Formats: sequence, structure tokens, C-alpha cells
Amino acid sequence: MKNPRVLSGPALAALAAALLSACGSSSSSSTSSTSGASGSSGAKATSAATVVVGTAPDYLDPQLGYTTQSAEATYPTYTGLVTYAHKDGAASLTVIPGLASAVPSVSNGGKTYTATLRPGLKFSNGAAVKASDFTYSIERALKLNWGGDAFYTGNIVGASAYQKGTASTISGITTDDATGKVTINLIAPYGAFDNVLAFPSSAIVPSGTAMKNLSNSPPPGVGAYQITNVVPNQSFTMQINQTYNAEQIPGIPPAHVNVNVKIEANNQTEAESVLNGTADIFDPGDTLPPALISQITASSHFAKQAIQQNFYFFLNTKRPPFNNILARQAVIEALNQPALSRLDSGNFAPGCYFLPPGIVGHPTAPCPYGDPSKGGNIAAAKALVAKAGLTGTPVDVYGETRSPRKEFVDYYASVLNQIGFKATEKILADATYFPTIGNLKLNPQTGFADWNQDFPNPIDFYLLLDSSSIQSINNQNFSQVKDPHIDSELKALGKIPAAQLGTVSARWQALDQYVAKQAYEAVYGYQQWPKFASARVDFAALHFIPLYGIDWSSIQLTK
Amino acid sequence: MSARRPGSSINGKDTGIDPATSTGTAFSGTLAPELDGGSKVELAPEMGPYQIAWRRLRRNRVALGFGLLFILIVVLCLLAPVYASDVAHTTPYANHVTDTVQVGGKTVDVVSLTGLPVGPTWHGRFFLGADANGRDVAVRLLYGGRNSLEIGGVATLITIVLGLLAGIVAGYFRGFADGLISRLLEVIWAYPVIVFGAAVGVIINVGGLDLGFVKLNGGTLLVPAIIIGIVYIPYVARPVRGKVLSVRGLDFVDAARQQGLGHMRIMAGEILPNVTTLAIVMIPLQLAQSILLEAALSFLGAGVQSPNPSWGTMIGDGTRLIPGAIHLTLVPGTMLVLCVLGINIFGDGVRDALDPRAKLRIER
Repeated sequence: MKNPRVLSGPALAALAAALLSACGSSSSSSTSSTSGASGSSGAKATSAATVVVGTAPDYLDPQLGYTTQSAEATYPTYTGLVTYAHKDGAASLTVIPGLASAVPSVSNGGKTYTATLRPGLKFSNGAAVKASDFTYSIERALKLNWGGDAFYTGNIVGASAYQKGTASTISGITTDDATGKVTINLIAPYGAFDNVLAFPSSAIVPSGTAMKNLSNSPPPGVGAYQITNVVPNQSFTMQINQTYNAEQIPGIPPAHVNVNVKIEANNQTEAESVLNGTADIFDPGDTLPPALISQITASSHFAKQAIQQNFYFFLNTKRPPFNNILARQAVIEALNQPALSRLDSGNFAPGCYFLPPGIVGHPTAPCPYGDPSKGGNIAAAKALVAKAGLTGTPVDVYGETRSPRKEFVDYYASVLNQIGFKATEKILADATYFPTIGNLKLNPQTGFADWNQDFPNPIDFYLLLDSSSIQSINNQNFSQVKDPHIDSELKALGKIPAAQLGTVSARWQALDQYVAKQAYEAVYGYQQWPKFASARVDFAALHFIPLYGIDWSSIQLTK
Repeated sequence: MSARRPGSSINGKDTGIDPATSTGTAFSGTLAPELDGGSKVELAPEMGPYQIAWRRLRRNRVALGFGLLFILIVVLCLLAPVYASDVAHTTPYANHVTDTVQVGGKTVDVVSLTGLPVGPTWHGRFFLGADANGRDVAVRLLYGGRNSLEIGGVATLITIVLGLLAGIVAGYFRGFADGLISRLLEVIWAYPVIVFGAAVGVIINVGGLDLGFVKLNGGTLLVPAIIIGIVYIPYVARPVRGKVLSVRGLDFVDAARQQGLGHMRIMAGEILPNVTTLAIVMIPLQLAQSILLEAALSFLGAGVQSPNPSWGTMIGDGTRLIPGAIHLTLVPGTMLVLCVLGINIFGDGVRDALDPRAKLRIER
């Protein structure tokens, strides 16, 4: 839950639009926080833990990282003015002060955020943290075209001009290095701006850090770890940051052990290595291999964790056949959600609404095109396709190699063929999938997509349906939905502070039902993630954070 | 009219075998000369070189046995549609995730609630089990075999034709043409085959290929076939070039020149017949290599594109389930091994039959 600031203020027009990407899906960003014992700075690593992840982070540079895998690494490494609490489960969704001494105060009708840096902060390279570094970091994210840059350009005064090159700095951010004061002026009130400040992309790096992708040699930051020994797409090391003084930032404890992160595309191997103790943490974003599920679930170091996430097939509304609502309806009618659930080893609950359970605004009304807990209706779907005169239309279906996503797409392509389309699969490597389908030039017709919350607010999910989120690169509105009703609702709802979300729950529900009725996305379920560790990990102390997976700084070894 | 090379014929017919490599045992009568090992080969009057080779091949029972195995696999794969419709009652693409099937008198899920597919039932439906998407493995195996063989065949054709062309042109003209072609072949050869194939395969499969005069859609079987066909050209072109270099200066080629024949006619009429045997020997070996490379590329996602089956994609898809559903990798892996083994051993037999030096080993 996030820290509410009362935003009075006028309507933020474009606001909703702007937000976007950083989060979620296999793409998203992060923030950090702490839990656990606060310790003294620079705890010494007595041994190293090994984390195996199925998909390499897209970037290890905080101002570029856009996936949960990236955020998992940058969350305990880089800290912004605010971050998320380093606690287990839902408690980790609270925004707490990071490098700022307190959560920013809000004034000017919700349009001005003011914070002051804690004194004496140092980066991992020993340099002092200055208030102006914050401005530089946001400018860097804009210059590097971070996938969620609309969060900045749509909200912060002058951010757009800076990105376009018509201004030399962001006029809406003023800083005072002497006092550590940071003032941010917004174009209009935006209820979730604290969450924007908690993104890893908003983390502070030193002024002068190269304006280029530094994933192979990540820049200094303030956090429990520093990232070293990067071998792209293979491994990297989370090394304890010896300069980090946890006493300066209550709530962000130091790390206990160094962590070797290895990319292991085969989830079977990944799970086996944790079972046999050659690795310690199974990445929650990966699917447990069916053959080992009984063995894993019997382990005392396993638990299923609820996350706010959805799986869906995007349906490009700007290209045939899915510019026809009948074609989109047909897809939803035909999908057999229980079958898809089996492909994910039974790890998700069938559903049809874009907002997952647990997010304000998740509708309770029956789904408009059939009960998702039952099998799909192929005959009805086929009739719809025929009625639309679209039988035989070629459809390229995009997917990624990671299991069960490839299996989802195999199944989906088969269904499309059954209902009358001529589907061809395009399976891409995991690391390049979202950047590829997010390139507007490719203009993909349909394919796999998912979204994990960046922060607990429905607006985070609806960035994917906001017309202003359509971008030439790193586009996340894959369906290219441009619906005036959605846009106007988001404009109004986006101003509502998190603390008051309950007051607009019905309105969010109505919007989500409208989206389901329009069949803009073929949602088929909501996943649960596994928290699974080796026997030598202190499981009780291990923090699962619904936003990003495991808080690696909470790993403690008992053997 | 083409001049014949002295000593390269039996009863006036071209053997297609280079005397330079035939240990000086050119056959000119009804009885073969006594060979080094003291064995003799009886030759019927008017017996052509390929008849002689066939006769030798027939004596190589092992090679013939594996040749028959390969033919059996081909026939089975050709019958895939019949098997799918009349026995398994499904298609290679149909998902049966939530279906059930009878196994040992019990009704079981084709794919369990935890995502584990059923193993071999030894009945018509799911004879060899199901894959993670509930697709019939036996049906996909046969259809996958068709794809693997089709790609291997087309790739081999491309390799042999272009390899012959490049090798003959380079060896015959030498000089600039030889330099250009040889450097080009070296560039291809220098790049690891699988890496090169995977890189090109991924690019073309995603975006297709449009060169104006050539247009390929991503996902078509022609993509891996062309890639494989091209990456193996040096493996044919270089030995062919070497052979041509040794032939082009011989008397019968000079005689052809003296008669005023053009380059094309000399290459087609005099040079080509002298490298044909080499090409024939390479065909089965190249076919086996192509099928293996196709499997490797498909395993890596750069060959046959899902949901199209091939043995490589089936193995790749099955790896994540090896402990719980080993049939997913074992079945296509076994088929791949048998097929390649069949081709290779038969190919060795063909080579032995066409190569008099190799014949010695058989005769002994």
C-alpha cells in the first residue's frame, strides 16, 4: 500500500497516460526497502548464496531496467528518495523514506513534492550523495529512454521538454546541494507519484554517470549491495556494499551474504539445483517444473505466494483481424482457462478481468463471455469468426521461449486455428521478447503478455490500456487501445490518492467490466508465485515481495 | 563431342571413378585384375560402373540393412496423415490438455492438473504418450520426421548443387574466380555452423527475408533448409575443387579444348562426370549431417518453428520434463539416432561400393 498524499487539484489530464511501464510484467521496475534486523553497516559475507533465475534481467542499469528480473537486482542495490519496506509479503508494499529523511511532503494542491536528503549519505564508490544527483538520475532515465519514462514526462513539469532536447534540464525539479532539499513540481496531481519515486529508475546515481547503458558495469548506488562480475545473460554477483551504513537509513538493513546470480533457462535444472542444494533460491517468476512439483511442495522451504498479476493475450486493435470486436470476442470465447492453468502446473486461477483479485476495482460480476472456470466454446467462437467474415485470416502469434509461456502460445495458436484463423507462431528469446513486440514498427497482431503490479493501485495496470502509453519503442499498450472512455476515466481516477482508492472502487469495477466487454485483452488468469529455497536458507527470515520476487538482501544461510 | 579420358572406362563406358584414385585398377575386361589382397571380382560382360557398384553394395548386408531401416522410417513418416486420421484420430497440432484417455483400464488426464503429460499408452490414442500441450507424440513424431527429412533433403540438394557448381568453377577457372569463391567458402567455413545457422535462422524466422527477387516468410520450412544448405556448401565445394584441379590438366580435357569446346561444355561434359562419384558418395553423408543440424537448430529455436514439429523441436520441448516425462525426449531422440545411423552406414556402403580402394576392405 502506498503512502497517500492528498492530491487535490485539478484533473490531471494526461496523467494516467503517462504512467506506465515500469512495472510489471515481465517488465517492470522496482524499489526497495527493508526489514529484518537492522544492522551495522557493511556486514561481512561469510559465504555466498546462489540464486538461479530463468530469464536474464533486461538491464542491470537502474535507469534502464524494466523487468521484474531487473528490479529484483536493482531493488536492494539502488535507493531513491523513497523505497518500499523491506518486509515480507504485503507489508513490503508500503512506501517508506529512502534517501530522503521522510516521505515527501505534498503541497500546492498535490502538485508539489518536497523532500530532504539524509545527511552524510555515500555512494558505493565513496562519493557523497548530493541533492542534484536526483535531478541527474531522472534526466538519465529520460535520456536513456527508460521504458516507463512516461511516468516522468507525463507528470513532472519540464521532463518532456528535457527529453525532447528543448531544455537543458528538468525545470520542474529544483535542488539545493547545501541543504539537500529536493522539490518536484507536477503538471497535475497524481495520486501514485510516491510510487513513481520508489521505482528503481528513480534511484539516485552520481551526477556525471555516463548517459549510456551501463549494465555490464553498473553505476554506484546507495544500497545493501553493489552489482559486480556481470557476464551478460549468464551471471552476475550481488556483492555486499561495504560502504553502506544501514544505521543512516532505518528500514533498509544491510545484506547478510553475497549472492551469485546465475541465469538458468531450464526451470527443471533450476529447481533441481535448489532441491539438491547447489543453489539456494528459485526465482519466483519462473514456473515450477511439473515433474518436481510433488517433491518441491513437500519441502518445508516452499510456499505459494499471492501476487497481483495477470496473464493475457494482447489483441492488436489497430490491425485485422482484431480490429473487429467479433474476432476479439471469439478469442475469449474459445480460450480454455483450465487447460491453460494446467500448462502452468495449476499455478494460476482462471479469470477474465484485467484487474486481478486483490487490486481495488477487481469486478465481482460474471464474465461477459462465459465462465472462465469452464472450458472454452470453440463452436461459438468459430461462428463469430465466420460471422465477421474473417475465416482464414493469417495471424502471427508472438511468444517467448520460457516455460510455460511457450506452451501458452502453442495452445493459443492451436485455438486460433480451430476457430478459423491461420495462426503462425513467432517464438522469441526471453531477453528480447518484450523489447521486440514493444517496437511499434513490428506492430504485432497478438501474443503473450503479462503484468505484475509495480505498486498496489489499479492505475498501474491501466497504463497498459491508456492511449498515451502507446510508444514507438518499449510500447506496453500492445493492443494499442485508444478508447476515449478509458482515457477520460483514467484521467479522473488517476488523481485519486491511494488512501482514497476505496471511494472509487465501484468506478474502477465499472471500467474493468467495460474493458472486458470490449474484449481489448484476452485475459485468462492470475498467477501465484513460488517462494522456494534450499535447506540451508533461513526460510522464516526470507522476504517475499509481491512486487519483485525475493528480497535478496534478506537471504541468510543457516549452514 | 567430348573426349574420354583413357583408362576411365569399362567396355567403353565411363566409370565415373577417377583412375587417379582407383589405385590403377581400371577394369577393361570381363575379369577384374587380381587386387592387392589377392581377391578377384568377377565382372559380367557389358557391366557398367554403377552396376558394379550395386553388385558390391548388395554384398554389404549391414549397409543394406541400415538402408532399409532408413527407407522404413521414410515410409512411416510419409504415412503420418494416415496414422493421424485413422489410428490416433487427431492432428499434430491439436491440443488435448483437458482430455482424458484410457490407460490400463483407468481413465487418466492427458495432462495432469500439475502439468505432467501422460506417458505411452500403447494404444491408438497417445501410443507414445502426450506432450506438455496434450498433443499426440506419435503423430508429431511422424510429422516431425517428414519435416526433418524434407529439410534435410532440400538442404542436401542445395549443398550438392551449389557445392558442385562452386567447386567446378573454382577448380576449372582458377585465378580470380578461384580466389573469390575460395575466400567466400572460407568465410562460411570459418564461422561455427550452429552459431551461424542459429543467428541467421532467428533473424529470418522473425522478420522473414525479402531480397526483392526472393521472399521468404518466417516459419516456412525453407528457412532452415536454405540455411543448412548454404552453411554446408564448403564441405562439398572444397573437395570437388580439389578433384577438378587434378582433372583439368589431364589429356582428355586438353583434347576437348583442342576440339574447340567452350568452357561450359567442358565443365559439363568432361569435368562433371569425373566428380559425380564424389558427389554421390557425399549425398547420404550430407543428408545425415543436414538432418542433425536441423535438429540442433530446431532445438535452439532457430529451425522449424513451433507448433510445426520436428525431431529437434520435440527434443527441445521435452527437456524441461525429462524426469517426469522422459518419453518426450527419448522418442524423438531415438528416431533421430536411428535415422542418421541408417543414412550414415548406408552412405558408407555406397562409398565403399564406388571406391575400389574401399572395396578391398570388403573383399577381404
